[in-house]
Amino acid sequence: MKALFNTGRTSAQGQGLEAKARPEYMEATSVCMMNPVDLMDLDLEEGERVHVRGPAGEVVLTTVLNEGVPRGTVYVPMGPYANAVIDAGTHATGMPDYKSCMVDLEATDDEVKTPADLMEAVGGVAYRGDEE
Amino acid sequence: MIHEDMICPFCGCLCDDLVIETEGTEVVRVDNACTLGSHKLMNAGTHRLKSPIMREGGAWRDARYEEAIEYAAGILLDADRPLLYGWSSTQGEAQGTGVSMAELLGGVIDSTTSVCHGPSILAIQEVGHPGCTLGQVKNRADLIVYWGCNPTEAHPRHMSRYTTYADGYFLENAFRDRKLILVDVRKTETASIADEFVQVKPGGDYAVLSALRAIVRGREDVVPPTVAGVTKEQLLRVAALCKEAKFGALFFGVGLTMSPGKYKNVRNAIELVDELSRHTKFTLTPLRGHYNVYGSNEVFTWMTGYPYAVDFSRQIAFYNPGETTAVDLMARKECDAALIVASDPGAHFPKKCLEHLASIPSVLIDPMHTMTTPLVRCQIPTAVTGMDAPGTAYRMDGVPIHVKKFMDLGYPTDTEIIGSIFEKVKEVRHP
Repeated sequence: MKALFNTGRTSAQGQGLEAKARPEYMEATSVCMMNPVDLMDLDLEEGERVHVRGPAGEVVLTTVLNEGVPRGTVYVPMGPYANAVIDAGTHATGMPDYKSCMVDLEATDDEVKTPADLMEAVGGVAYRGDEE
Repeated sequence: MIHEDMICPFCGCLCDDLVIETEGTEVVRVDNACTLGSHKLMNAGTHRLKSPIMREGGAWRDARYEEAIEYAAGILLDADRPLLYGWSSTQGEAQGTGVSMAELLGGVIDSTTSVCHGPSILAIQEVGHPGCTLGQVKNRADLIVYWGCNPTEAHPRHMSRYTTYADGYFLENAFRDRKLILVDVRKTETASIADEFVQVKPGGDYAVLSALRAIVRGREDVVPPTVAGVTKEQLLRVAALCKEAKFGALFFGVGLTMSPGKYKNVRNAIELVDELSRHTKFTLTPLRGHYNVYGSNEVFTWMTGYPYAVDFSRQIAFYNPGETTAVDLMARKECDAALIVASDPGAHFPKKCLEHLASIPSVLIDPMHTMTTPLVRCQIPTAVTGMDAPGTAYRMDGVPIHVKKFMDLGYPTDTEIIGSIFEKVKEVRHP
């Protein structure tokens, strides 16, 4: 299924900002809010996972039902998951298309990666010095 | 210990009525703050990095401050095109030192503005900014428009301190007398309390703004029956509400700046406000995210003439968003060293930029382990301004506010660390 990929703030994402190594931040940013009808079309129940392929890459997200999201669009809180699919082009404005890229959605059983995995996939080295 | 009248260092509202209770070095209670501010203040003391960390052979190790400062100065001095990025969650004092250092290095300095309200500034540079302070809105505005934003989740106290739920000096019953119009592509919680919720098809903001301008100008005959999913009837109602208001205030978020059209959307919104001001008093204010992102624009502007994305490689200040902005510099693999201050590109930049950031020498100055931590070679923890450091911050309406300190955890401030790096840079490159 094709959908317009929209990103932005949610209060859960904002609450997690100061402790991004905590699981709450991963939970808050790795969700894909979808219209219930679109979720049904993908044959998914809320909480099952969806594979999102965008102009710059792909990512697995957990679906969340949201009636406020219009059909044919998905809303993903701003963060490392949303940015895994967004292209870096800015049309000479400095601002990437955070709210207007097209993605392909597909049901999947794959696991949602951790933020540390995402950062290692782009060449980083996870820091684990503060894990309890 | 109870600290009254404290300033919240989270978003651009800079709420100044917080009551914070501390026991030793712990925050045990925060009153008056929203959920975002409370989370920051309650937790920010607990998730700090203990000391600087450095990467060595694919693993992290603890480091001393002197060593980390030496390393930061070294990579900036060795670079041909260093990028100094971030600057939105820090003190104005640190921002100023950053600009001086960028100038001496011949580098590029950019703030998170470029990925939030950068396009708003581009629009303001084209057609001006009909703005006012939030106090004016609170006391006078009888019509509030929120366009492409969701204050309930992103600026939770904006409505209770300045708009819908705030008492106003010139309004008898502010909650009943103040009308609320919300324009968005999705139906958010804010929609449930709006007098008019205008649901625009994604990418349709420019067309809807143009249609409203036409109606306000008396040319409703040129407006088709629906515009980007909005009926002409609703547009006529919205235009009438705006014209009938005694004082209208339009607030907008990144729903305008990030959507197709970007700065042209904001330009159209400003021109609608201009048009409305021929009938009544109307103002426009961008809802700024980081508590001191506005400050970065102020400090950069008074020091260089430009609000963000300032390039000193020509030995004069040069500004060309789209070329000298952080996302573009990283996507083109142009910068060869980076100093990231008080921001988290790891969480908020497209993947391609992060791949480049991970491949160059870089230092992060941030109190916490963030998404950017894995991508840099060295991180220096500092005090959180508004908790264990005082400093200057600018509210979203441009009012500078002295942010207070209410505890001490022994960390140096951003200004001290950047000042120390600058000293090392100056030892090699005399100003």
